Amino acid sequence: MASETLKNELKGHIIEQLNLEDIKKEDFVDEAPLFGEGGVGLDSIDALELIVLLEKHYHINVTNPEEGKVVFYSIDSMADYIEKHRK
Amino acid sequence: MGTDVFVTGIGVISAIGLNVGENLSALKSQRSGLVSREIPSKKGAVITGPVPVSDEEMAEKLQIPDRPVSRTSLLGAWAAAEAWQGHEHFSALKTGLISSTSVGGMDRSEVFYKDYLGGKPADFGQLRCHDSGSTSECIARSLGISGYVNTLSTACSSGANAIMLGARLLQQGWLDRVVVGGTDALTSFTLHGFDSLMIYDSSNTRPFDESRAGLNLGEGAAFLVLESERSLKITGKQSMGRVRGWGNAADAYHQTASSPEGKGASLAMAEAIRTAGLQPAGITYVNAHGTGTPNNDQSESVALKHIFNDQVPYFSSTKAFTGHTLAAAGAIEAVFSILSIREALMWPNLNFSEPIIGTELLPLTSLTAGRVEAVLSNSFGFGGNNSSLVFTD
Amino acid sequence: MNRITASCRITNRGVFVDGQLLKPFSGDDPVENLGAAYKGLALDYPKFYKMDLLAKAAFLGVEILKSNCPDLAGDADDDPAMLFANSESSSDTDLKFEESYGNNGLPSPSLFVYTLPNIAMGEVAIRNKWYGSQMFAVFPNFAPAYYADQARLLSDEGAKKWICGWIDVREKLDVLLFALDDAMLHEPELVTGIQHLYDN
Repeated sequence: MASETLKNELKGHIIEQLNLEDIKKEDFVDEAPLFGEGGVGLDSIDALELIVLLEKHYHINVTNPEEGKVVFYSIDSMADYIEKHRK
Repeated sequence: MGTDVFVTGIGVISAIGLNVGENLSALKSQRSGLVSREIPSKKGAVITGPVPVSDEEMAEKLQIPDRPVSRTSLLGAWAAAEAWQGHEHFSALKTGLISSTSVGGMDRSEVFYKDYLGGKPADFGQLRCHDSGSTSECIARSLGISGYVNTLSTACSSGANAIMLGARLLQQGWLDRVVVGGTDALTSFTLHGFDSLMIYDSSNTRPFDESRAGLNLGEGAAFLVLESERSLKITGKQSMGRVRGWGNAADAYHQTASSPEGKGASLAMAEAIRTAGLQPAGITYVNAHGTGTPNNDQSESVALKHIFNDQVPYFSSTKAFTGHTLAAAGAIEAVFSILSIREALMWPNLNFSEPIIGTELLPLTSLTAGRVEAVLSNSFGFGGNNSSLVFTD
Repeated sequence: MNRITASCRITNRGVFVDGQLLKPFSGDDPVENLGAAYKGLALDYPKFYKMDLLAKAAFLGVEILKSNCPDLAGDADDDPAMLFANSESSSDTDLKFEESYGNNGLPSPSLFVYTLPNIAMGEVAIRNKWYGSQMFAVFPNFAPAYYADQARLLSDEGAKKWICGWIDVREKLDVLLFALDDAMLHEPELVTGIQHLYDN
């Protein structure tokens, strides 16, 4: 399990990178889907922006958009991925 | 409805040739202009369709004195000069120019920006080229057209929309003759942009193939001279073909992606066939948008099947010859459509091997001869701006 | 002449509807001003925050037009065509995108998608499910004849109403949205009327 500190930091990066002005860190449910209806409702451009976020803050390269679908499923899955791959 | 809209001049510059003759011979011999080369601002080699002529050479041959001048303007002026060859000014004719571009003078702005940020003395004059309108003004000056000059910018449907607007202006008698087309140069801006959307194929683009993984960018320009019946009587020009139908519709789905059911594409194609006074069965050949992105080709396939009731005519994408030339694409492919009718040839879809699972459409894979009555040419742009044109002899 | 019944002007001074001040702006920051205008409308459309300035201005202008012109909203069979123009194309976002790949080599996809001026019309179409035709032109200055001429051209092919927009946002907010219908098209004073909306 990824640490709460990492998840908290990640939420801050997501809000900043995706201009989610009306969403606060508390609005994220760690295990809930980030994309689609409900929740924070991210879309396909956001997914691409998350790839930039991983590279910018954690120096992780995601080259296959299909891989992104699994990685960006939820805050939990993203944080786990970062723990495993961060440099 | 008013006059027929006649095409009396065509000009094109692209990765497969510097004029109409060279483009035609490349299409006939299935020679692609896509090459792999290093791009300064990117790591590693990138596949693009560059035009093999320098800015200096173009400016000199065209005798364009403007400095700085953007590559987009030069490519446009080059193709417009070929289309305009043999045409003269007549005081009795209202003649206009509608040019279109998506990057405008971005190539110059990039030079400026790099110098400026690097603390080097930067030439602020470069920024005068940035505006899309400066491209049209440069082309208008080089042709000596000063009446009606308009600039459209609607992403990758720009070139088609310039032709559509020109045809409408003739049909309703606002102009007698109009030079229409589009131009875009390769820039780091667009390379980075499509790369960031992860729709830039690192191999050669494969339109309508199951394994397609994105587009390759090209550059170029094309222009057509359109004339009304009244204009033909004065100029004495011969018609090379007619712009018969047009349609534009919004997809209302996503900023960049096409809807999976191809709604905007279907609406545009149906409207173009309707305004041409044809039935879908009257279309001989479709020059598809076919960018090679997973999303476009799937969406366009669904729309084609819908419009043609599963009896899809011969079709192909020529993007694997030229690369995707953005605002120029609709105009370049309009020239290819006119050539198709005149040469009684339909162009192959390069790099195809397996049909898309689910739609199973088979594009033409070799040069195909046969009488071409009507060509439907598609150009779909970001913003869900979808346009289709119908050309006949 | 038939009055152009719905118009929305947005400048650094505030939002004006049919010439009346709806919401004054206190500062000069266009991001804050458009954000404040959005909050004032109490819409639930979080995508607004992800749009660039051009799209935000177009989106807000059309939302305000709709609330003042019930004909435009919810008319599924008869979508309005959109005729937009400005003087600066998408240069505001172009420069931001250039910075994203120029400085740190990480081009931002969410900026790139807005580096075309017609995306603003696309956002309006997405919001309203409008499938009508769209045109975006770039002129040195506000050009009232463009709207009248284009609407007349399209009317021959069956279009009946138009959403017209002028959206410059980079130097200062200079935004005008208005609706035209076919009853107004052949008014001789149409072009003057449109210029009047802009000057007011």
